[in-house]
Amino acid sequence: MNKKILIVEDDSFLQGLASTKLEKEGFTVTAASSGDDALKLLKTDVPDCILLDLILPGMDGFEVLRNVREAGATRAVPVIVFSNLSEDTDIKHAKDLGATDYMIKSNFTLDELADRIKELLK
Amino acid sequence: MNPEITRLEEENTKLKEQNAMKGDLISITAHQLRTSLSAMKWILKMFLDGDFGTLTSEQQNFIQKAFDSDERMIRLVNEMLSINHSEETLNTVHPIPTDIVKLLDEVYFDFTGESFKKGIELIFLKPTSPIASVTVDPEKMRVVFQNLIENAIKYSNKGGRVFINATEKEDSIEISVRDTGIGIANEDKENIFGKFFRTENAKKQDSIGSGLGLFTTKKIVETSHGKIWFESTVGEGTTFYVELPKITNA
Repeated sequence: MNKKILIVEDDSFLQGLASTKLEKEGFTVTAASSGDDALKLLKTDVPDCILLDLILPGMDGFEVLRNVREAGATRAVPVIVFSNLSEDTDIKHAKDLGATDYMIKSNFTLDELADRIKELLK
Repeated sequence: MNPEITRLEEENTKLKEQNAMKGDLISITAHQLRTSLSAMKWILKMFLDGDFGTLTSEQQNFIQKAFDSDERMIRLVNEMLSINHSEETLNTVHPIPTDIVKLLDEVYFDFTGESFKKGIELIFLKPTSPIASVTVDPEKMRVVFQNLIENAIKYSNKGGRVFINATEKEDSIEISVRDTGIGIANEDKENIFGKFFRTENAKKQDSIGSGLGLFTTKKIVETSHGKIWFESTVGEGTTFYVELPKITNA
């Protein structure tokens, strides 16, 4: 049974690339382009891992993370924040809200991301 | 009040505002640059991995060059951010009682991905019982440990180990970051905290670097009334020590 990943990313190009790579690596991928869409999807379908961008239209990634951690069904789902923000305050905020990991997009390739997810889901 | 002083104060406030704006502009620009650079990095790596079919050796060669060039650009953006950060860092200090173990734990968290990627084991040897707090600016002290751990990872090879340790001494808390990396040559030891200084070994390991990391680190430790020193052997590794006066419950 393939592990399910939810990608929350508003840049459709980056979202497409990440989905393609993770599918090639054997994951089942669903994607949301906004925080609201992500929370809607999470109501019916709980993934094994969430990949979360921070700058999103409307509700931002921090707010999504807060909601994910507050809802019983998703409380324990690993959340990798995947953003190009690298201010300490952002990293700390994400950790305080319960992020499992924080990865700066430009510092990782997608195969490295896939390895990290596999490691987390072991 | 002396009108000259008032004028200078106004000027000073204006300059500070302009500097803050410059800092914000750099952060925003960096974020935008990174988004495009990430897209290129991901695509090129997928080509190199054969995700879009097998490449001829010529294609492989050129795409590798494009990938390396993109990587170089990403590191330049990272450097630009860290110089921006280091300027902000040295400008203001707000010391408060700080739980150093909690702070180290947060910095450790920031580097778990990076160390995993480089195949280096990052180990935080947490004290088994609570230790005394220290009076430091936590945001500035965070930069100190970030720099030390970043260097330890950067100048280690795959399979290396980095140990973070915090112990309570009689009057102080001693934090150490030990690596099993390339080490610092004897002739470089006296210059290691110098502004813009980089050792030849460091340049070989990593061609891009501002030479500001340890300079900033030492400045912060000293404004926090602490001490910093190191022990190093080429080919065996380096340990940096930071000693900070502890808060005693009188």
